[in-house]
Amino acid sequence: MEFTLLWAALLGMGMLWAALWLEDRAELLGEGRRVAFDRALVAAVAALAVGRLAAMISTGTNPWAHPGDIVIVRGGVDTGFAALTALGWLLWSARQRLPAALDELGPAALAGLAGWHAGCLFRGTCLGARSDLPWAVAQRGSEVSRHPTEIYAALLLLATAAAAFWWLRRGPRLGLVGFSALAAAGAIRWLTEPLRPSLGAGPVGWYAAAVAVGLTGLLWQSLRRGAVGSRSGPVP
Amino acid sequence: MRRVARAVLFALLSAACTAGGGGGTVDAAPLSPTDPGQFRLLLAASDAPVVVNVWASWCLPCRSEAPLLRIAHQRFGAEVRFVGLNVQDSQPQAAAFLTEFGLAFEQYSDPRRRVPSLLGGVGVPITYFFAPGGELVHLHSGVIDERTLALQIDELLGR
Repeated sequence: MEFTLLWAALLGMGMLWAALWLEDRAELLGEGRRVAFDRALVAAVAALAVGRLAAMISTGTNPWAHPGDIVIVRGGVDTGFAALTALGWLLWSARQRLPAALDELGPAALAGLAGWHAGCLFRGTCLGARSDLPWAVAQRGSEVSRHPTEIYAALLLLATAAAAFWWLRRGPRLGLVGFSALAAAGAIRWLTEPLRPSLGAGPVGWYAAAVAVGLTGLLWQSLRRGAVGSRSGPVP
Repeated sequence: MRRVARAVLFALLSAACTAGGGGGTVDAAPLSPTDPGQFRLLLAASDAPVVVNVWASWCLPCRSEAPLLRIAHQRFGAEVRFVGLNVQDSQPQAAAFLTEFGLAFEQYSDPRRRVPSLLGGVGVPITYFFAPGGELVHLHSGVIDERTLALQIDELLGR
């Protein structure tokens, strides 16, 4: 039985929780840490389930005939459907104070994703495309040095999470931090995707869509007159 | 809102019900029996790198990685030799598995699981990566994911 995926997931959840704890201490969470953490956790679990189902269907496995396959997460999770499910759940569960909730979750989600990518250290999946750069790393017993791609992604996501947290503390217009976080997450995955080993082109279309939606939301919120909702509670 | 939710649910269920086998076009021939000696010779005689996947039709994780192996074979089959090693299985069920997933690379049968016992690794599935000439480069026990499979194939091609 392999538990490396579980350790990576726990690291991601730990980073998410730590970021929410920091936000809570800075009094940036309108509904409290537990509500935000539960919301993110449900989004992640639902995303995993739907993404796995979508991957099974796309590779020709009938979920009705083989329901047990859904737990073999390592067999593949469809990134696009997983992201849509997570976003859909967030939009629905936080509908009463959506821009504020997205802002609060933005830095924490980036930190959680950073933890998930850093979990490659448990999984032994940090390395990507071949490279001659001085910091490139070779697998044990190999002379082929490679980019530590997942470490790049983890560091970029962590730096972006810190920037988003700093921005949130400055009290920007509602929605800007949340949409920026979505665009940043998509952009970081998109930028690092060519450095990942893959059997295909990777889900770059979905990453581009995340960037487009994030930037569109950012622009829309920036141009709106006045802000809808408040950081402290639901819209009446 | 409920109508939309019902429509989405219906669409998802319909998609799930209509998802058939991955390949479905491959008619599996009876698997050739092999033993450790023959298999060693096969590996040593190969001019190309070899990816050996140990599988069984009753093995749940094998079902998850089968589509990845089909895609990998389609993409790298010209440069890398893919070999399936069916263990502790019945011929009809193994043939049905191959047909369902459209695995078109060479397959061997090892009912008593003697080859993996010699090569190392426990359980099923196991994926071995051999350099040309039969040197074992990497052994992956358990279900393999896309990134690991692609990385190890790239390692083989980089030698």
